[in-house]
Amino acid sequence: MLPSEKLAIAAHLHVLLRRKTGRVTDTEWMAENHAYATEIVRFARKSAAEDGHPDLAEWADKLEQAVLPPSVPRPPPPRAREAGGAPTDPGPESVPAPADLPRYVRGIR
Amino acid sequence: MHRIRTEWLLACFLSLAAPAWAQAPAPLTHPALVAQDALNAADTAWMMTSTALVLLMTLPGIALFYGGMVRKKNVLNTMASVVAVAALVSLLWFAVGYSLAFSPGSGWLGGDTRLWFSGMEYLKVAGKVAVSHAAPNVPESVYAMFQLTFAIITAALIVGAVVERMRFSALLWFTGLWSVLVYAPIAHWVWEPGGWLAQMGVLDFAGGSVVHINAGVSGLVCAHVLGARRGYGREPFEPFNLGLTMAGAGLLWVGWFGFNAGSAVAADGRAGLAMAVTHIAAAAAAMSWMLGEWIVRRRPSLLGLCSGLVAGLVAITPAAGFVTPKDALLIGVVAGLACYWGATGLKRLLNTDDSLDVFGVHGIGGIVGALMTGLLANRTISGVHGDVAIQALGVLAVIAYSALMSLALLWLTKVLVGLRVDDDAELTGLDLTQHRERMGT
Repeated sequence: MLPSEKLAIAAHLHVLLRRKTGRVTDTEWMAENHAYATEIVRFARKSAAEDGHPDLAEWADKLEQAVLPPSVPRPPPPRAREAGGAPTDPGPESVPAPADLPRYVRGIR
Repeated sequence: MHRIRTEWLLACFLSLAAPAWAQAPAPLTHPALVAQDALNAADTAWMMTSTALVLLMTLPGIALFYGGMVRKKNVLNTMASVVAVAALVSLLWFAVGYSLAFSPGSGWLGGDTRLWFSGMEYLKVAGKVAVSHAAPNVPESVYAMFQLTFAIITAALIVGAVVERMRFSALLWFTGLWSVLVYAPIAHWVWEPGGWLAQMGVLDFAGGSVVHINAGVSGLVCAHVLGARRGYGREPFEPFNLGLTMAGAGLLWVGWFGFNAGSAVAADGRAGLAMAVTHIAAAAAAMSWMLGEWIVRRRPSLLGLCSGLVAGLVAITPAAGFVTPKDALLIGVVAGLACYWGATGLKRLLNTDDSLDVFGVHGIGGIVGALMTGLLANRTISGVHGDVAIQALGVLAVIAYSALMSLALLWLTKVLVGLRVDDDAELTGLDLTQHRERMGT
């Protein structure tokens, strides 16, 4: 995967986290540093499970696949998912609607 | 008795009238040396103040306004571009630009009498000072500096369309050539009394066409020729700090009082009215953009407010010395909505990565303002009538010349140094790759 594609996923997750949880992250560092990316994936999944934001879990999965090589230990899934928490599982119907896409994708205004 | 009285009255009349005729100065048709006491001190002080205000719009106004909107890795490059353009255009204006724009020549271009500011004398012992025929009450040095700040901001506006991917060297080559070969001729057409658009009666009080349409169209052409930034339309390009953008917008609003009220070239009632309409239009456009965004996007954004106020300032620019405060309210409301569409709907239609919406705000705002000036110009204020057809002709002339010349200059720049940074440099960011600097945390 190209570095720009990794950066794009990290930026997408950054926007979602800021909007849904108020947490501010470092996009570039997220796309480069495995330890930081691991922590962000863990936090995003936890927020997804606890606060009901399926799109956070979906983009955490994407970041994990894009940035973390298989050799890197994966963050443990949150308890809600371990317990078979179907409500937070991102299904096809939970893909964000176009109006909910992050800002700044096709222009700044 | 009657004849004696008539002769006496005639003699009195002549004795009073003759000296007055002898003293009344003929209107200047070219720059000239005049007695220092012919200057107006209040006008001169206001023009010097306005010059500082307009420079403040660029340094640091535009630098902050644009710098806050780009990604963190390109903030310093954006600011460096604005500073470098300001310095480069200043030198070129001194050497060539002012003479081509504001000395008498043909209807298309000024002459060479003011190259290197030559003839711009101040002779203390002789009690003489040079004045421009376009501003006979203030020293020509002040008028030239006031106009210099307009040349600077016009070129600096283009930076917003090309940020995050244009080579720094290419930007300097392009804006340098553009300032001399595009800005100066258009300024001559519209603002020098012998310019062909001025002769036709095109009204542009402070630069709706010369500055904003010109920069907007050129920015759009530049963005199209350069191509989109990597990831455009797929990745979110998060602005570094919209707080900086707000600070820049505030400086633009304040500085615009010098831009518009200074264009009266006097500290008089017309300048006062220009200041009032400028403020009203900015406020109206900020509100109309905000309401439009609130309805369409369900959220009013800070960037929308800042963009709206700039849209209103742009649109009132050509009209400032010609319209009433109520007309300014209308211009502001229309401009806010039109520019919101320009920066969103029209942008999608054009499918060009005009990064910071130079055309959407300045191009569209300038066109709205120029046409509404034709519609609303009030004869009781300025002594002139507006004509929408004449205004439209002026708009089309500026669009055509600016677009074609920008294309030619981009081609030349590409041949000389290349236009874009390479993919790796773009990914890393222009702060590091063009300047070896980066923002702190």
